[in-house]
Amino acid sequence: MPAVQAKSISCPNCGGPVALRGFAHTLSVVCPQCMTVLDASTPEVQILQTFQGKTRTQPTIPLGSRGKIGDTQFEVIGFQIRQVDSGEDTYQWDEYLLFNPYRGFRYLTEYNGHWNFVNVESALPEPSRSAGKLAMRFGGKTYLSFDSMTASTVYVLGEFPWRVSVGDSIACQDFVAPPSMLSSESTSGEITWSRAEYMPGSQIWQTFKLPGSPPPAYGIFANQPSPYGGSVGSAWRTWLWLNVALAGLAFLFMIISPGHVAFSDHYAYSQNVRSDAAFVTPTFQLDGRDSNVDLSIHTDLENNWAYFSFALINDQTGQTFDFAREVSYYHDSDGSEGSRNNSVIIPSVPSGQYYLRVEPEMAAGSPDVRYELELRRNVPNYGFFGLAALLLLIPPVLTTFRKGSFEAARWRESDYAPSSSSSGGDD
Amino acid sequence: MNTALFVIYGVLLLGVTGVAEYRGWSWSRINQQRVLPKSIRDNPGAYRSSYGGYSRYIGGK
Repeated sequence: MPAVQAKSISCPNCGGPVALRGFAHTLSVVCPQCMTVLDASTPEVQILQTFQGKTRTQPTIPLGSRGKIGDTQFEVIGFQIRQVDSGEDTYQWDEYLLFNPYRGFRYLTEYNGHWNFVNVESALPEPSRSAGKLAMRFGGKTYLSFDSMTASTVYVLGEFPWRVSVGDSIACQDFVAPPSMLSSESTSGEITWSRAEYMPGSQIWQTFKLPGSPPPAYGIFANQPSPYGGSVGSAWRTWLWLNVALAGLAFLFMIISPGHVAFSDHYAYSQNVRSDAAFVTPTFQLDGRDSNVDLSIHTDLENNWAYFSFALINDQTGQTFDFAREVSYYHDSDGSEGSRNNSVIIPSVPSGQYYLRVEPEMAAGSPDVRYELELRRNVPNYGFFGLAALLLLIPPVLTTFRKGSFEAARWRESDYAPSSSSSGGDD
Repeated sequence: MNTALFVIYGVLLLGVTGVAEYRGWSWSRINQQRVLPKSIRDNPGAYRSSYGGYSRYIGGK
């Protein structure tokens, strides 16, 4: 925008100079010295309202600041504070009036560090319903009803293309489709529709070259884009592909770890035999890489238990894997408990010649038990795949939960808050 | 968690699962002893298992 000299008038209240940057569009202007609202539509410049407030507010973006939003340079020419008093809660937001001689007026709003660039629309949205709520269709998007309120102007500064005055009241209704928001402002017999786009504070600071850094945004704003918006679908798609890879890995190990039987034999244990219960099996060969060994115990127990102490011993090196398993099986007319079988996986057993030391135990007076021991080398341990599948669920579930929490926090501020009686909201 | 981090996490998880499978890891409580006399083969009763001497409540169901 070329450097245009602002027109200047004198304030009839205090005599101070008042700059007019909006040219013929300006209908009212506030004297920066005495804060009197002046009628700038006629050369006589009459007083519309004198300042009754106690404090003056300095806008975050000073009047006269210029910055480029999109491909248009705007100048800040007006500022007002609007307030909603819902009875239970009072809150305010700032509105900046931006002007470009060729593009006209735009607005910037700020609430708790959340900024929106607002454009007044000439087309009307089409009422509809979506997700059980009143909605508006506009520009190919559906905006969900968010909240409605009555807002009053409590502070003005600069110039405006309407006759502004402190105490002006409007009925507002917001519809959201993040990062956009559609708002209606109703005064007597007139409804204005505007569309807002959410802007990060850092962009505002950069645009208007403001000193320092923007204060952090507090809370979640009505049309604030969710940081998890696109990531939930992406997380579940990634989860799906990783599960396909996991299934492929399981299939691979099903082929390369067939679990061939290295040793198998049948035994019986009787407490009537006076000899030592412990015995050793014949030696057997465990081949291949360091891998696991699965020992299965199959018994014919009836309402009894048996306990087996095992030692898998390398015949050459003496390396011993010491472990034990209990088998118990009880049943009656009400059902059964336990199992006649049990198994154990011995990890990372090197190849070599091995034998098993077995020592069965049972309760005194127990009947004989017959059992089979089967030892298989290199068996797939599907528990790892199950655990991996569970751990793979964490990121998408967490992302989904966080997105849900974000949306719940957004809608808690709306008229549709699940357990709120408040009709207030943000903006 | 963004997608790139998730992919790294997932690939690491698959890698650990693959190593666990290949090396034959197990959840089982296994006590390893490095030195055992060869005489155990001839006298199995002389060996004292870490899990031996089992005692159990035998009140029944």
